[in-house]
Amino acid sequence: MKSSLYVAALASALSLSVGCGSPASTTPVSSAATTSAVVNGEKYLLAEEPDDAVGVIEARETASNGDPLVVVGRIGGSDKPWVEGRAAFMLLDASMAVVAEGTESAEGEVCMGDCCANERAECTTLVKVVDNGALVPADSRQLLGVKENDFVVIRGKASKDESGNFTVLADGVFIRR
Amino acid sequence: MRRLLPWDYGVRNLFRRPSRSALTLGGLSIVILLVLVVVGFIRGLEASLAATGQPNVVLVYAMTSGADIENSAIPGRTPALLAASVAGVRSQFGEKFISPELYLGTRISVNDQEGLGLVRGVTTAAPLVRQQVQIIEGTWPGPGEVLAGRLVHSKLGCDEAALQPGQTIRFDGRDWKISGVFAAGGAAFESEVWCPLNDLQSALKRQDLSLVAVTMDSADAAADVDLFCRERIDLELKSVGEMAYYADLQKHYRPVRMLGWIVVCLVAGSGVFAGLNTMYGAVVGRIRELATLQAIGYRRRAILLTLIQEATLLACCGALIACLLGLLFVNGTAVRFTMGAFMLRVDSVGIAIACITAVILGIVGALPPAAKAMRLPVVEAIKAI
Repeated sequence: MKSSLYVAALASALSLSVGCGSPASTTPVSSAATTSAVVNGEKYLLAEEPDDAVGVIEARETASNGDPLVVVGRIGGSDKPWVEGRAAFMLLDASMAVVAEGTESAEGEVCMGDCCANERAECTTLVKVVDNGALVPADSRQLLGVKENDFVVIRGKASKDESGNFTVLADGVFIRR
Repeated sequence: MRRLLPWDYGVRNLFRRPSRSALTLGGLSIVILLVLVVVGFIRGLEASLAATGQPNVVLVYAMTSGADIENSAIPGRTPALLAASVAGVRSQFGEKFISPELYLGTRISVNDQEGLGLVRGVTTAAPLVRQQVQIIEGTWPGPGEVLAGRLVHSKLGCDEAALQPGQTIRFDGRDWKISGVFAAGGAAFESEVWCPLNDLQSALKRQDLSLVAVTMDSADAAADVDLFCRERIDLELKSVGEMAYYADLQKHYRPVRMLGWIVVCLVAGSGVFAGLNTMYGAVVGRIRELATLQAIGYRRRAILLTLIQEATLLACCGALIACLLGLLFVNGTAVRFTMGAFMLRVDSVGIAIACITAVILGIVGALPPAAKAMRLPVVEAIKAI
């Protein structure tokens, strides 16, 4: 009986010592993460499709900084077209299609690999939904109810810098269903 | 009608055949120790990658480098652009938590012995972002000096004493004096050599960086870095959360971990067979004794239970011995792997798995021989030699 009690005592001591000695996680607890604000997205959704929409490629070439413009395209052009928790997404020119990395791309196609990074950059743009010039702090999927490959028409302004970086600052989005 | 055999009966039986018990105990201890080593390997690998990533740290590196930071080259002005353009970067006393780094794998010579090591050129901002890092000996490196991680010796396959402060190592055509040794809470940095960024850039004749690590005020603010990278396509940058980066690396090691678990099952399985063999021997030698117990009124179930009790006690003692040996000799042992080095971990999970394995070994190993012995008629069994 004694020997079995010793065994039990040893087992308890061992498990306790290991439990107490386990190294604490080195990952610091992040401060309360500021979650995306709950914003009503209806005011950014257009009931009617705006006229005179141009493609992404044309917009990149012709628009100047601050020009009002209407751009049509498909949400995509990146393996992750969404910016998490922000009303921003990548828009792909409607005439282009994206194929998987390693796939031979035909005319009007770009692949997701590094080899097509420059071509992809020329036919895609970042769209930021802004309110009084500030980016709306809500995920576009929740804000606008959009999903990847949706055809959208964006109304907004061009933002272009000296290095050629082009962004659309949207104040209205029409979703073609 | 007696119901159960006394607990002491099973315990005393173990001491009646000390040689057989000792041999079985040794065998079981080795099996459980092997299980513990393999689990320690898997847990160490997982812990190393998990401890390296922090939820609010974002890595910014070259868009064209795939998932490999070693191949990344980004403009040297990136940290300044990030500091000026991205809101939500953590700062303290006016110092932004932005760490520009140059990271490469290179041949490092220690006492004329050469090995493939990992070198990271850093500034004094690095400890702000890599908060796991603690200097355990010596000082922060000055010009021409390096800070060695405590597992570098394992990565390079050299003696630990050769990487103590005051010693000299050589890489990229220069001698570097070791100013100190650092630990990083089990993170992958522990197998790296850190040196001043400017010195490394001079040695390599490079002005670019491999990556910039940024600590944000919150994990949610990491999206602003992503936004910056997507807007500034001229810089050809991409960003990834540090935790996501190392979680992705863990995927590469999934086959290794799967193999580890298979080895655990195989070792435990072989242990069951070894236990079965021993228990068959033990039970066959006690057939008359067991039959006598039946003859004096003990039920078969009670005898079966006492046999399981004996085997389980032995296996649990084996688990205790294995855990003690594991904690003393296995825990903390450095193991080299492609990404650096990590330490085997005998933690609560490993010990729990070892104890569960022991119980299973005890029960499963005892059941078949005990059941076989119980099937013999009492009269025949009493006459057995």
